[in-house]
Amino acid sequence: MCLAVPMQIESIDGFQCRCVARGIEREVSLFLLQGEEIALGDHVLVHVGYAIQKVSAEEAADSWELFDEVLEANA
Amino acid sequence: MSRSAEQWLQALRDLGVDRRVRIMNVCGGHERSISLAGLRTAIPKNIELVPGPGCPVCICPEEDVFEAIQLALNEDIILVAFGDMLRVPVNAPKREPRSLEQAKAAGGDIRPVASPSEVVRIAKENPDKQVVFFAAGFETTTAPVAAMLAEGVPDNLLVLLSGRLTWPAVSMLLESETPGFDALIAPGHVSTVMGPEEWEFVVDKHNIPAAVAGFRPDTLLAAMYSVLRQLKDDRRFLDNCYPEVVRPGGNAEARRQLNEVMKVSDATWRGVGVIPKSGFVLRDKFAQHDSREQFPSYADESRKRVGEMPPGCDCARVVLGKIYPNQCRLYGAACTPRKPIGPCMVSDEGACRIWWASGYRDNEWEGRKQSVG
Repeated sequence: MCLAVPMQIESIDGFQCRCVARGIEREVSLFLLQGEEIALGDHVLVHVGYAIQKVSAEEAADSWELFDEVLEANA
Repeated sequence: MSRSAEQWLQALRDLGVDRRVRIMNVCGGHERSISLAGLRTAIPKNIELVPGPGCPVCICPEEDVFEAIQLALNEDIILVAFGDMLRVPVNAPKREPRSLEQAKAAGGDIRPVASPSEVVRIAKENPDKQVVFFAAGFETTTAPVAAMLAEGVPDNLLVLLSGRLTWPAVSMLLESETPGFDALIAPGHVSTVMGPEEWEFVVDKHNIPAAVAGFRPDTLLAAMYSVLRQLKDDRRFLDNCYPEVVRPGGNAEARRQLNEVMKVSDATWRGVGVIPKSGFVLRDKFAQHDSREQFPSYADESRKRVGEMPPGCDCARVVLGKIYPNQCRLYGAACTPRKPIGPCMVSDEGACRIWWASGYRDNEWEGRKQSVG
């Protein structure tokens, strides 16, 4: 339940943004990252629809490899 | 982090720690990565990996699940909860619904959600109904619930809060006579929000080595290497093996919002009892959104096994790392993911479910061994 997934920001509208990861799109709240500088193309760690931390593109890519393995194992 | 998982594994073997060391993790995500990657069998046999209190669904008070079921059946409301909560069983008499899933079948308007934002949307779409959000979770999940309330929600949205802090359970174990572990892997995403500093007490107060880890095998093995090396060198410190995500102080804005919306109080953990300062409650200024303030309590102390795990279920000892999942007499026998009896087999974060999904099939219940031998 505490697992967060990295996603890339595609568009921003106030505290709401549209994120994508591996082709999956989600509405994500930036309310917990107010005060941080956030730009289009940035990667954020998303948990239950809220971005909880900015992460590098490299970290996001590494994490996605792990999630692919987890999804495969659960399939 | 330059080393690969294989290199960390080799470094860990090369340390040559030959005494028994029990390393506890307190995160379902960690346990899942460890089990799926087969790390338990890859490391030397004397190094044990113990799943500890890492499943918020598993320790959510039985009374709170009962309350949510009763609200859904007796009040004119929509009850929403994270999907994991719907199959968690309570100790109700046979003819009554024993889970939110069964209460839904009995006519309750109960809906699973994946995000607080969805709850707000449901409340807006149903202005004539009250919507109660049954929110169980550790710090990582409770912070977004706080954010939802801080940002402002419709008047008809109420929260039945069962938020818990992770570290007080570890503290309780360490204060006990039998903590059951010699080193700790601290949770990655709880630390992302709360900061790694929350875990300093493990080292400073109890002289137990600790390292924050991420979720890939390399960072988990790096954390295992760190705590073993700390033991070997007799030099303890809180290591951060997930620095690319876990930063000093954590997410300060998230902590600020948690503090603004909620206060910390003593709280019940299912099958365990009250752990001091381990729960979140809504502050008075959010009383109009507090389900406990706005609805009558359906607590029924005359119920059998109030607050306990289901009969025969050893989830409480699994959660505390006292036994491994397959040392419960029900594991894989009466209790499987298809027909779960205890919450540890229900939740994706539960150690029993993770072990089953990872292929552990042997039941090693002590009583069975004795009866065979």
